[in-house]
Amino acid sequence: MQSIRLTTDEVKLLYQKHGATLAAYACSCGLDHAAAEDVVQQLFLKMLGEKTFAPQAPVAYLYRSTRNASLNLQRDRRRETDLPDTEPWFIHPNSSQVEVLTLQKALQELPEEQKETVFLKIWSGMTLQEIAEVTETPLNTVASRYRYALEKLRDHLGQQNKK
Amino acid sequence: MDPFDQETERYLREFQPRAIQPLEVGPKDKNTLSRRLAVVALLVLLAGTLLWFAHREAARPKEAANIRPEKENVARGRRFPSALALTRLALEDNEKLDSVLADQSREVLPTVQGKQSMLRVLAND
Repeated sequence: MQSIRLTTDEVKLLYQKHGATLAAYACSCGLDHAAAEDVVQQLFLKMLGEKTFAPQAPVAYLYRSTRNASLNLQRDRRRETDLPDTEPWFIHPNSSQVEVLTLQKALQELPEEQKETVFLKIWSGMTLQEIAEVTETPLNTVASRYRYALEKLRDHLGQQNKK
Repeated sequence: MDPFDQETERYLREFQPRAIQPLEVGPKDKNTLSRRLAVVALLVLLAGTLLWFAHREAARPKEAANIRPEKENVARGRRFPSALALTRLALEDNEKLDSVLADQSREVLPTVQGKQSMLRVLAND
């Protein structure tokens, strides 16, 4: 895989395409939406500030960096206060907030690799093959993670619907 | 893909992440500006320091110049006879040589008459 240097316009384009999803991903790691936005903004500003920045797989790098920054921030904040789980970081035109919160809860409970795979596939629009490449994981493993994740989400959402 | 998976996938796609603010590149510009200001301030400080040193160095020769003329005046008063003249005197007139050397030694050697003379101080001790 070749190393590429991103221009300012390319970084801005990445932000437009993946910024909101990365913020939702940061929320799934335990941050509130405002903090998630800050984390994502800082990450992209850092990318803009570094002239020699050249990630081999920018999207995968963004996901990993978002996760690390979110977990670090969450660890620091947890000492101060517990955050409420009632803030929506997804929107759905026809669903109630309860449904949104149920999905968010289900996503939060997924193992990290499965959650990352779901975000990359569903909301970052990557194929399983692309995910395998950027995460340097065998395609079969990625496919399994995705399948297990969907199964768990379906179970979780189904249980909530039954309630 | 499993039809259940396809259905779940379709359902998940209906949810969209909440929009976020556009990327603000302002803080970076602010940082750049403050960095530039810091560099300018450093350069001004450096230039000021250099000027101060230059001024100080320029003042030193003046002090030396104030002192030097006195020394030069003293030196000018001394009319040392040339080595050739002294040799001639030594050969022709020993007494005159002695008197010339005595005169010169009075001018060249420090006097013991001054109040702050080191010889006087030592003599007192």
